[in-house]
Amino acid sequence: MSLTLNNVSKRFGGVVASDSVNITVPKGKITGLIGPNGAGKTTIVNMITGMLAVSDGQITVGDRDITHSFADEICRAGLARTFQNIRILPDNSVLENILIGFHRHEECSTLAAMLGLPAARRESGKIREMAIAMLRRFGMSALADFPAGGLSYGHQRKLEMMRALASEPEFMLLDEPVAGMNDVESDSLAELFRELASTGMGVLLIEHNIRFVSKLCEHVYVLDGGRLIAEGAPGVVLRDPEVMAAYIGGEHA
Amino acid sequence: MTNVLLGYQPLFDLFLLHLGMAYSQWLVLRAGVFSLATVGLAAVGAYTGGILVVTLGFPAPVALLAAALAGGIVALGLSVPLARLRGVYQAIATVAFIQIVLSLNIYAAGLTGGPQGLNGIPKTVGTLTLLIAGILTVYLMYAIMSSRLGRAFDAIRQNEAVAASLGVSIVRHQTLAFVISGALAGTYGALEAFHSYALAPSQFAFPFLIAVLSYVVLGGRNTIIGPIIGTAILLILPEIARPLAEARMLVYGLLLILVINYLPRGIADTLIERARARRLSARLAKSDTAPTTAARS
Amino acid sequence: MLLQQLLNGLVVGGVYALFAVGFNLIFGVQRFLNLAHGAVFMTGAFVAYYTVEAGGPLVLGFLAAVVSAGLLSVLIEIVCFRRLRKSGDAEFGAILSSMGASLVIMTVWQWISQTQVVRFPFDTVPVVIFRFWGLRVSLLQVIMIVAAVVIVMIMAWFIYRTSFGRQVRAVTDNEKAAMLVGVNPNRTYNMTYFISGALAGAAGVLVGLAFNNINYMMGEPYLLFGFAIIILGGLGSIPGALLASLIFGMVQTLSIAYLPSGLTTAFIFSAMFLILLVKPTGLMGREEAGSLRGRR
Repeated sequence: MSLTLNNVSKRFGGVVASDSVNITVPKGKITGLIGPNGAGKTTIVNMITGMLAVSDGQITVGDRDITHSFADEICRAGLARTFQNIRILPDNSVLENILIGFHRHEECSTLAAMLGLPAARRESGKIREMAIAMLRRFGMSALADFPAGGLSYGHQRKLEMMRALASEPEFMLLDEPVAGMNDVESDSLAELFRELASTGMGVLLIEHNIRFVSKLCEHVYVLDGGRLIAEGAPGVVLRDPEVMAAYIGGEHA
Repeated sequence: MTNVLLGYQPLFDLFLLHLGMAYSQWLVLRAGVFSLATVGLAAVGAYTGGILVVTLGFPAPVALLAAALAGGIVALGLSVPLARLRGVYQAIATVAFIQIVLSLNIYAAGLTGGPQGLNGIPKTVGTLTLLIAGILTVYLMYAIMSSRLGRAFDAIRQNEAVAASLGVSIVRHQTLAFVISGALAGTYGALEAFHSYALAPSQFAFPFLIAVLSYVVLGGRNTIIGPIIGTAILLILPEIARPLAEARMLVYGLLLILVINYLPRGIADTLIERARARRLSARLAKSDTAPTTAARS
Repeated sequence: MLLQQLLNGLVVGGVYALFAVGFNLIFGVQRFLNLAHGAVFMTGAFVAYYTVEAGGPLVLGFLAAVVSAGLLSVLIEIVCFRRLRKSGDAEFGAILSSMGASLVIMTVWQWISQTQVVRFPFDTVPVVIFRFWGLRVSLLQVIMIVAAVVIVMIMAWFIYRTSFGRQVRAVTDNEKAAMLVGVNPNRTYNMTYFISGALAGAAGVLVGLAFNNINYMMGEPYLLFGFAIIILGGLGSIPGALLASLIFGMVQTLSIAYLPSGLTTAFIFSAMFLILLVKPTGLMGREEAGSLRGRR
């Protein structure tokens, strides 16, 4: 089973943001998606997660077609994401930010939830414990009751990741997860991503940082101007003249 | 002593009636629906209850149930266009809805009594009934907000993209919040009808809309105690300072401007937040000193 | 008869246009719904009335009304909106804050007028009726339509042909970018609110003259009609608001003439609902970003 993009395109009016993109994200591996700024990486994530309508092509999870599914249905199909520009819920506490991540797995009836019946209370208690365990795993237990809006940048990124993990996805899309982090922090996250893949999760790592990607991925895709210009093992792809040109051109233009 | 308390009984009744409406408004705002329809839905409930009792001779409890149902069903119908709209457009559409209810109430004089309204509604609701209703309402709000529904409402209000990416169906949850809010408004509309002998269409117009919004905004939009504080302050204030009662509109107006600009989270939310911040920083200070004391000993 | 009704509707629509264009201008520039616009409108009517009552000529009353309504509108921006611009919840806050301003202004005029309805003296505008093609047009109607057309044209020239207008449109598109190229947003907002208020004040005087019924509650129905007009014309669109006002004036006049009385409001607002169902940003409104709301 894998997450597959088959000739996926996105047009905004006359502007082509993605042009017949083919990507396969297998389970149990970290797949890289790199490219210079404005290459259309986030557009791809937004199309996969149902936040942008797909103009053409097909997106499937296993044999399930999610091309035109709504964002919430796509989550329930087993996909989770983080956002390039961090989006935490600032009014809520750190713990509450994680609790909402478990939404996909809450199954007590609406009536039970409305009336506060034991079934609903038991479920709330259970996910609360799971959220606390998650905080412990990430070393943030002490911050559980703090308002999430006041966290440091690195903590907010981690919190977003915990929230996405709480939905227990089969595929995780990470949109520039280490942007703005120092080497120690990004190394510890790299370790976490490896661990996730080793449990069988399929990870799509969208990054600007080539070094980080080449360390983690066996297979990378390179996007430029909405088009895939190369794919393969990082060592090979990064020596590709077109890729080098795109990066050097992209960085200095 | 008893006399003094009895003197305040009408005010207490009014507080409980308005509190229910305030929660109806509070719940939709909490779920990120920018609806101002509570007053119109209350009118639907009040007239449903009043007509069933006065014209058709139904017993009050049945009429009350029907009023809740009517409020909920109308809200369900309204939620279809509302789901397609955002922000300001939802506010405008719901204000239009209030106008439609108002003018239909005046127009359908045969059914509703027209501009004069319905009279001679038997008084079947007293303080005790209202108190029970109030307690049940607060419990319902508490149960909803501490369940998966409340968590979903909070997520949707703060960031729809995040909510959807975590599998929360925005339309389904907002519809649910709006229908509960409508049933609540319908219930309290009927309670009002059964409490006050008479109904007039003008009761459910702009001044009431402003009052209900003010209760929620002054008290606080994100804590359950917010509407209680807001409603209590705005109803008691004119009682302790008589001149304020005559300038009620002015007081509401000034309070709205001041609260929105200088205390945007409302009284209860701000105080609760401050208390929490104090508690947390105290705990942080303790955990900072803990290792040092351990090292010393 | 039908033609006469249409003509009357056109006159009313012209006055609605003065009201609605100013209302929509603020929405276009700041995305704020200014619920105090009806109170500004009423202020125009009262100022003109008290000027005339004090012995001033109507023209002076009109000018005083336009200027004071414009200034009041600027004051509303400073007191109610300026702080909100920087907060995250501005859309909601602006509605409540301007609702508050509306209540305050209404109370003030309620005190001044002692809750009485006031009327212009009988011959403030001489009663002259022109007849042609079987239609009757009063001098007042001529004044109304001429004033509406002239004022709207001046405003259109201001917005579309002057450097100030370019600044307004630049701030509308992108406040930060406009600041970078040296536009002072506060000054631009002041001017926008002044124009918006002045238009409302002018509408207030004309409505005061036409229906000769000035009271502290007179703004409320116009605010509601303003809603309906901008839904019809699209929030933020000035040509849309103009066209919608004229259509609205005629539809309203016709429905008063031909529909059972009392149903007019219900009819108008139900039509508004239908429009919103078909097109959530109004008939001529700009489409906003795609939605991720999903199905129920």
